[in-house]
Amino acid sequence: MKRASELPRRARSVIGQVFVVGSTMTVAIIIMIPIIWMLNAAVRPIKEILVYPPMLIPQQITFEYFGSIIRNEQYQRFFLNSIILSLSTLAASIGLGLPAAYGFSRFRIRGGRIMLLSIMALLMLPPVTLIIPYFRLAKAFRFYDTVSGLIIVNIAFALPLVIWLLKAYVDSIPVELEEAALIDGCNRLQALQKILMPLAIPAIIGVGTFAFIAAWNEYLMAAVLTDTPRSQVITIGLSLFFGQRFRDWNAIMALATLSSLPLMIIFIFFQRWVVQGMTSGAVK
Amino acid sequence: MSQMTTRPQIDRRVGKAVNVGEVRRLRILRSLSGYLFLAPALLYLLGVSIYPLISTIQMSFMEVEQGGWQVVGLQNYANLLRDLWFWNSLKIISVVAVASTVLHISIGMALALLLNEHWFSIILRNFMRGILIFTWMFSTAAAALMWSLLFHPFGLFNYLAKTLFDLSAPVEFLGNTSLALWSVIVVGAWKYYPYYMLMILGGLQTIPLELYEAAKVDGANYWHRFRHVTLPLLRPVLIVISTIDMIATFSHVDLFKMLTRGGPLRTTEVVAYYIYKSALLDGNLGYGAAISTFVLMCLVVFMVVYMRILSRGGETGETSF
Repeated sequence: MKRASELPRRARSVIGQVFVVGSTMTVAIIIMIPIIWMLNAAVRPIKEILVYPPMLIPQQITFEYFGSIIRNEQYQRFFLNSIILSLSTLAASIGLGLPAAYGFSRFRIRGGRIMLLSIMALLMLPPVTLIIPYFRLAKAFRFYDTVSGLIIVNIAFALPLVIWLLKAYVDSIPVELEEAALIDGCNRLQALQKILMPLAIPAIIGVGTFAFIAAWNEYLMAAVLTDTPRSQVITIGLSLFFGQRFRDWNAIMALATLSSLPLMIIFIFFQRWVVQGMTSGAVK
Repeated sequence: MSQMTTRPQIDRRVGKAVNVGEVRRLRILRSLSGYLFLAPALLYLLGVSIYPLISTIQMSFMEVEQGGWQVVGLQNYANLLRDLWFWNSLKIISVVAVASTVLHISIGMALALLLNEHWFSIILRNFMRGILIFTWMFSTAAAALMWSLLFHPFGLFNYLAKTLFDLSAPVEFLGNTSLALWSVIVVGAWKYYPYYMLMILGGLQTIPLELYEAAKVDGANYWHRFRHVTLPLLRPVLIVISTIDMIATFSHVDLFKMLTRGGPLRTTEVVAYYIYKSALLDGNLGYGAAISTFVLMCLVVFMVVYMRILSRGGETGETSF
């Protein structure tokens, strides 16, 4: 038998390719099983779900569970609340974060390094250590069981990352462009608005996507700070199924699919930015 | 470094127009406007993150008694040290932290190495990378539901277990005292590994190809190249992400809250869930605050040790930060 190194170069590279592509695909399929199973269960009648042997291909496909969820007023409320929460978090965290990033990047700030490191430390702060004061403050300031309460808390969670990522990006934009604008009589705010913001659009989209996904998926604070469907979001809607004795699996999976749909769409369109945001965020 | 206040271009221009005293005044104004840019965000964080954080520490010395907050001194901490369930929860989270770090980094490393190979089609490679990041995007709630269908006594995993190992009774993945913790760890690994994969992939892409070429010329096989080129150069990235992972794991509570609620027999009661349970389910807010403070202290110690390791690496030139 020939050893691998004695095979002709071409053959070796083909074998290498088959190995690389084949094993990546195998792992990818294994990793996708829960998602495939979710989609699979969402479109078939209940009597076909927990059967022996499990059926990979549904015998009859039905979208009635999606329909019944979309028509359900309580779920409509959950979705609406999630959309309000995520968009507000996105807008506010960029509205607060971009000026701060600009300030850190372009001015000599006394203690700026310490401030940035503290912000970094906030990034690592376990949210669970804040549930008690948040619970108390929310009750005291009547934010308990409101979407606004959730928005306030989610902005605080998103802001440190937004500041860090945008600061790194602003650092990479040459200052000469703004200097020209300042010489032409712009003030700082105008320079930020007219010169920097258009240049920073990719980073803004990236961190915006990030803030949106984080707020959409946030669960713990929603569980602690809300109590009635009026203010509850979709992650709570999903978690309500835990603890039920009988589970209507196809409706559950249809809801899980629908709740992830916005993120899937975002991901398909903004994958590049999501990847950039994920990798440039923590280590810098 | 590149602050505009010290940029000669502008200063020269300003200097032409006004005298020195006025330049100084302008500079102060400029740096003041810098603080104005920072102020909204910093004040927000001060009010919504730092103040609650301080009040957590403050409340750890108090307890709700007869409807009001009473100062109890170190009573909560004294209880904490005697509370075996607290130590149990710390022990469980340590197991989870080590296990998930190992899982994240090994899965992430394997996939990153595959993605970093030469692919015949870049489009296919990027598509596969997309697929492999996909799980990161799902909410913990959606992930917990997907997996509880798989873990169901009549679900897919039990079917596989039955056919492969010929078991008579269904396996209770989330109800068995020795399995439940590992089931949740697997769900966590599934949900969070993409971040670590991307970080490692980013690290791999910074390693110059010449090093591999040189190693090849010297007759190093794949394993040698991995052991003596890839691993040492990835060391900084690996240290950083494993620390981030450990810290992140301490705050994990969603999956435990949804999938097992700390059970069965409190075998999955991690410290974050114990905080939630003591404070909000049992109503011992002060005690919950004391556990929170203790956890924060552990994390600070952990981070200091980690910074030490990093800076020591820096002195000997092993890490490049």
